[in-house]
Amino acid sequence: MGLKQYINDIVEAVVTTAKGMRITARYGVDASEEVTQQYPEERREPSERFRGFLHNDVARCTSCQMCIKVCPVDCISLEAVRGADKKFVLASYDINIGRCMYCGLCVEVCPTKSLTHTSGYEKASVNRGELVLHFIHEDAAEIKARVAKQVAEAAAKAAEAAKAAEAVKAAANPAAPDVAPAAANKPAPAEPQAKEKPESEKKG
Amino acid sequence: MESFALSLVKAVPALSGVPMWTVTLTAMVLTAAILLVFALTFGGLGSYVLRKVAGDIQVRIGPNRVGPYGLLQFLADGAKLILKEDIIPAKADRFLFILAPYLVFVGSFAAFVVLPFGVGLIASDLNIGVYYVMAVTSLVVVGILMAGWASNNKWALLGGMRAAAQIISYEIPVGMAIMPAVLIAGSLSLQDIVRSQGGLLGVFGWNLFHNPFTFFSFILYFTAAQAETNQTPFDLPEAESELVSGYNVEYSGIRYAFFFLAEFGDMFVVAALATACFLGGWHVPFFHAEALPAFWGNLLSLGAFLFKAFALVLVMMWVRWTLPRLRVDQLMRMSWKYLVPLTFVNLLGVSLWLLLFKGKGIPQMIASLVG
Repeated sequence: MGLKQYINDIVEAVVTTAKGMRITARYGVDASEEVTQQYPEERREPSERFRGFLHNDVARCTSCQMCIKVCPVDCISLEAVRGADKKFVLASYDINIGRCMYCGLCVEVCPTKSLTHTSGYEKASVNRGELVLHFIHEDAAEIKARVAKQVAEAAAKAAEAAKAAEAVKAAANPAAPDVAPAAANKPAPAEPQAKEKPESEKKG
Repeated sequence: MESFALSLVKAVPALSGVPMWTVTLTAMVLTAAILLVFALTFGGLGSYVLRKVAGDIQVRIGPNRVGPYGLLQFLADGAKLILKEDIIPAKADRFLFILAPYLVFVGSFAAFVVLPFGVGLIASDLNIGVYYVMAVTSLVVVGILMAGWASNNKWALLGGMRAAAQIISYEIPVGMAIMPAVLIAGSLSLQDIVRSQGGLLGVFGWNLFHNPFTFFSFILYFTAAQAETNQTPFDLPEAESELVSGYNVEYSGIRYAFFFLAEFGDMFVVAALATACFLGGWHVPFFHAEALPAFWGNLLSLGAFLFKAFALVLVMMWVRWTLPRLRVDQLMRMSWKYLVPLTFVNLLGVSLWLLLFKGKGIPQMIASLVG
């Protein structure tokens, strides 16, 4: 190491230190550059397409199970039974938000757009069970039993109607069958699915 | 201290019946208590300012929850540290482990004894003041090495060894950089050094402006002192990224607080020594503090001294949050290849200057030219 290099090193050390200190002084003096947000008091507005917690509008959900199939981390699970009108009735729809990785595939794939991302992101909990979001609050077994009963009732009604029609046909016009059952076979309207309120967002 | 006790007895006639030694002892204890309170308060508020400065420089806010502007944060921290469990590792060397933090704290606190806070405000005006400071702050190395060894932890041991190597290396440039002030004053007593810097509008009498060499030696001293107190560009003993937290990794509670306070005490001692040796100590610019009545003179000079010292502490914090940490080899190279030769050359320059110009500084020459 020559003398020139030696002196150069010293000069460089002094110059670079001064340069750095000028920059830090500028930041230190200028208070308006502070970027800290006082979180619990000030909250940042999440952006428009922010992928927060998932929410399922169960009234629009058709139980197609696309979301379950597409989910890479298997955090969605649902149980559905076929109702009296041949449509699926949701018995339970759970999202384990602690496992969700917010990729948004389920929302993209949802045909009725019932599954959406909300802007919620605050969910601290004491145990992992609290991280599972239940969108149907009724007991799954109860719903299943009720739907089964409705299906059975509808079937009984249909059978009765068919029998009555048969009887009518046999009695009145044995020559012209197969007219009445088409009308009588119409099932009683199924229990409205929207009875279950969608889970309101939990905050704080 | 005895002279102070004597004047106290003279001033208060009721004390004349009391044995002399009790008065002296009480005066000593009182002085020590005042200095201790000052050191602790400085440690507390210093930590607040340090974090606030760090926040400002890093575009953050810093502590602002406890008390107005977070000013009471240090009380909360202190209470927390006192209440914490005092853990002593099972395999630690118990005696040394317990002793080390006190040794470190004593090493930095004992230096307060000779700091000239004002015209008459000095606990003891030792005639070897500068040497005393150098000697007594070396106790910090022993404490740190002891803490590192006694912890029975590889990181603590490495941190302690690094600290010892670093502080011993930087002791040389620190001592050599402070020599010019001693040469100019012709005394090792810090009060004499400060007195030698009076006059000439109060600013141009400072050793800082005495001649170019003293100016450089101030910068060299400040740099080396930064390293000697383990401030950030040179904080290898507690490099968190490599050594978790260095020699104090096994300490908790009040023992950790002692290390912490010693660090801030060191910071103040270094700043105060730089003030006394280069920035005119307690001299108030454009004022003659010694000519004022005792009370006002002391108050004004205390204010001036503290202002200068705190300003230097602030600069230390500023440097601390600007520069990244050096590597071990870079640290050693900086000391032995740059600072040590430079301070020796500097000392030679000052000696030659004093010899050639008969002890006159540049401002003095200009003043004598102007008339």
